[in-house]
Amino acid sequence: MGITDDGNLKISWSSPTLTPFPLQYQVKYSENSTAIMREVDEIVSATSLLVDSVLPGSSYEVQVRGKRLDGPGAWSDWSTPHFYTIQDVLYFPPKILTSVGSNVSFHCIYKNENKLVSSKKIVWWMNLAEKIPQSQYSVVSDRVSKVTFCNLNATKPRGKFTYDAVYCCSEHECHHRYAELYVIDVNVNISCETDGYLTKMTCRWSTNSIQSLVGSTLQLRYHRRSLYCSDIPSIHPVSEPKDCHLQKDGFYECVFQPIFLLSGYTMWIRINHSLGSLDSPPTCVLPDSVVKPLPPPSVKAEMTVNIGLLKISWEKPIFPENNLQFQIRYGLSGKEVQWKMYEVYDAKAKSASLPVPDLCAAYAVQVRCKRLDGLGYWSNWSNPAYTVVMDIKVPTRGPEFWRIINGDMTKKEKNVTLLWKPLMKNDSLCSVRRYVINHQTSRNGTWAQDVGNHTRFTFLWTEPAHTVTILAVNSVGVSVANFNLTLSWHMSKVHIVQSFSAYPLNSSCVILSWMLSPSEYKLMYFIVEWRTPNEDNEIKWLRIPSSVKKYYIHDHFIPIEKYQFSLYPIFVEGVGKPKIINTFIQEDIEKHQNDAGLYIVVLIIISSLVLLLGTLLISHQRMKKLFWEDVPNPKNCSWAQGLNFQKPETFEHLFFKHTDSVTFGPLLLEPETISEDISVDASWKNKDEMAPATVVSLLLATSDLGKRSFCASDQCNGANFSDAEGTEVTCEDESRRQPSVKYAMLVSNSKSSETDEEQGLINSSVSKCFSSKNSPLKDSFSDTSWEIETQAFLILSDQHPKIISPHLTFSEGLDELLKMEGNFPEENHDEKSVYYLGVTSVKKRESDVFLTDASRVLYPFPAHCLFTDIRILRDSCSHLVENNFNLGTSVKKTFVSYMPQFQTCSTQTHKIMENKMCDLTV
Amino acid sequence: MHWGPLCRFLWLCPCLAYLQAMPIHRVQDDSRDLIKTIVTRINDTSHTQSVSSLQRIAGLDFIPGLQPVLSLSKMDETLAVYQQILTRLPPRNVVQILNDLENLRDLLYLLAVSKGCPFPHSSGLKTLESLDGVLEASRYSMEVVTLSRLQASLQDMLQQLDLGPRC
Repeated sequence: MGITDDGNLKISWSSPTLTPFPLQYQVKYSENSTAIMREVDEIVSATSLLVDSVLPGSSYEVQVRGKRLDGPGAWSDWSTPHFYTIQDVLYFPPKILTSVGSNVSFHCIYKNENKLVSSKKIVWWMNLAEKIPQSQYSVVSDRVSKVTFCNLNATKPRGKFTYDAVYCCSEHECHHRYAELYVIDVNVNISCETDGYLTKMTCRWSTNSIQSLVGSTLQLRYHRRSLYCSDIPSIHPVSEPKDCHLQKDGFYECVFQPIFLLSGYTMWIRINHSLGSLDSPPTCVLPDSVVKPLPPPSVKAEMTVNIGLLKISWEKPIFPENNLQFQIRYGLSGKEVQWKMYEVYDAKAKSASLPVPDLCAAYAVQVRCKRLDGLGYWSNWSNPAYTVVMDIKVPTRGPEFWRIINGDMTKKEKNVTLLWKPLMKNDSLCSVRRYVINHQTSRNGTWAQDVGNHTRFTFLWTEPAHTVTILAVNSVGVSVANFNLTLSWHMSKVHIVQSFSAYPLNSSCVILSWMLSPSEYKLMYFIVEWRTPNEDNEIKWLRIPSSVKKYYIHDHFIPIEKYQFSLYPIFVEGVGKPKIINTFIQEDIEKHQNDAGLYIVVLIIISSLVLLLGTLLISHQRMKKLFWEDVPNPKNCSWAQGLNFQKPETFEHLFFKHTDSVTFGPLLLEPETISEDISVDASWKNKDEMAPATVVSLLLATSDLGKRSFCASDQCNGANFSDAEGTEVTCEDESRRQPSVKYAMLVSNSKSSETDEEQGLINSSVSKCFSSKNSPLKDSFSDTSWEIETQAFLILSDQHPKIISPHLTFSEGLDELLKMEGNFPEENHDEKSVYYLGVTSVKKRESDVFLTDASRVLYPFPAHCLFTDIRILRDSCSHLVENNFNLGTSVKKTFVSYMPQFQTCSTQTHKIMENKMCDLTV
Repeated sequence: MHWGPLCRFLWLCPCLAYLQAMPIHRVQDDSRDLIKTIVTRINDTSHTQSVSSLQRIAGLDFIPGLQPVLSLSKMDETLAVYQQILTRLPPRNVVQILNDLENLRDLLYLLAVSKGCPFPHSSGLKTLESLDGVLEASRYSMEVVTLSRLQASLQDMLQQLDLGPRC
């Protein structure tokens, strides 16, 4: 017994076996419910009986007996009673199996607490989670409610439950019993493929979407239409099952063999389940439309000679007979081929020629095909075919070449070695069998030499112009475009490269740049040649177009090496004169890299110079202040009586007033820094005699400096002087002297004497030693052609406390004063070139020194150091200039007076520097 | 007495439905391609290629030979005979050809319908069943000759189709 989908109670039984006549049945059942209690007795010929108007909560007791339908017979015994109780909630149907997108309905009679719930009060819930909208309810009767689901989606399994639970509830209470709704996605995709021999069609389909239904079985069924498919495939009532086998990949595979090529196979999947059966949407397949052809056979690939195309040929597979399109893929043969595709839509085509970038490489080629109308599948790729590398065309050009001239360049006959780079495949297309050198000279005409596969060749260059051409030969022919090189005596002197420089970027790149001057010759290209001078054989070269003015050379440059770069202009008429430079790679690289450091160093130097300049200026100011403090009081000077020294601009006037017979040089008011040590080393250049070495030092330094500068050695004093000139030389005891000369000045208004160069050198030494008698020396000096002008020394010492600062005037009165002192030898009064007058001690100003050209001594000079006439050869001045002091041309600049009393005088007729004045401290 | 036109009309209905869905030129193309396919299949059967066309085989006159002009109905009749014969041959070699012949006959039927031709399906030879003994005794000859003559007939039909066959 059970509830039908219509809500009736179906009582069914089976007929007794082995009854040769039909039977009639008598059914007796009793219904017991809270509402009614009844007994029914019915006679039926079928084996089932439907009882309507069943109520939830009712219980039934049923018994059946049988009897012959026609004719005599007796009733059998009653069967054993069967009992059936209807639950408080009655769903009909209790379970529904349906497919996605379908519409289904459930009915419900709900008895709550022995009372039937009115259908209007029934609500529906899904999975006890969501209430079904009332719009989906409908009232069938006062007791029966109906809910409808439209366009159902597939049931999502919740754990082990693969159905949706539909609940019929009262307003606030649901019974625990529910109806089950199974919604299965039966959209199974069936794909078929006909083999290349057109004898077998294999169809595959997956069960992933319908595996969730436990207890179901799947079956592919099909119906074959004699020709073609209908526009809308439908499930035919007459169908056949097809055995399919589950594959490892989860697909079922069904094979139709043999096939009807042009018959439409309508197929679908039938899902059989205890709840019913479902059919997937049908699919119609025409085997002829799903053909996967065989790959094209006899695929061949070759590079066409003289054309240079990749030619691929193939044959049409035997099946199908339809027009086919072809697809070619090709690529450089290797482990991982980078394929390029090419489509051929001409069904009759059996070959294709394709341009390829590299004619001299092995290509792999494959071809596949498909029906031209687009139906079916692409075939598998054919077996790969490979091209064979062979000569395709004549070489596109001859090799680039260069020459090395060996031997003596001055000779007319030279050995010339031609060097060339082997042609690469792209140029040789695809190999070079040999090279041929064509020679052309004006005298010997033209001839050719086969040099085989070598890349260098030496020949004798004997004529003024010799043109060579190198041809490349392969199996197809001789290169057409070739390079010429003319070796010309005349052109080798043509110089058009104005500048040429090399800038190393790094160890692998050097930039070359150059400038050209205009030329009447036609420039073809350049050749850059570079090498390390240490390695004679290592010459590298490059051909550069003529339009280029900058070029990057990529090579492996060893950083510590020196490289020689040569730039040859190549004219039509011949090879021009090269420009050659040498470059240290490392040096230049570092120079580039250390630019920033260089700038910093420059800044430091500039700063140092500024600092030094400032120091000098400060020193200058201090010196200025110092000397101006030492200006003698003009009131004590006879020559300065009546003059106003408060006005500096009258200084010049001071001098003019008292020196009528004296020619003044430029008044140099600004003292200059003279912290130099001047040594004049002069030697006699006379053949017979050598003047004693004399050193003239002008110092403004500390005692140490003065000590060092004053050459106080015995050998430089009297010995030399006396021996050579017979001059008495008074030497100061070095041990007693600790000269610390603070200042020394040599003043001169002398003019540069160009004639001094003819004189010999005299090494003069003015130091602690001075000759007391200088007349012989002077005489000897006078014999020369010097044009030494009057100069004077002023040496200020702070270490000779006894020297009295004279504060003397500078005039004839001075001579008189000197005479009155009586200590000055009176010689050569006519040589009145006493110019200097005052020497003072910086510290104590206790001593004055006077030096006249007549006496040529200092007075009151300490006895231990006499100052006499010191003559300086002009030549020695030149020497001085060259070595230490610029006396030759810038004497005026160098010797500047520092006090107004100072004067210079004109030169004597024999142009000897007459007097020197010095202040030596001892 | 008026049942004849009515039956013909009812018979044509499904054919017209076919034609409505399928352009006739495709039917023609498919017919040609299918004939070529069958010919190729026969070619692909190695032992049929050694049959000399110069040597006449006696005792197999029931196998259709070349005919000067083939109408659509005659084509169908010829193919029906071949089907009958091939059905009695070992299925391993000819089963696919049999299916192809069936498709081809359906295509010819469609072509005839498209031309408005009366096209009664041929049932083949009525006397062929009595030749079962011959077939049993000379299976190889039957197969070779049948396939060879079928190939020739199909090539002839192909030419006729290009020319536009009569009903």
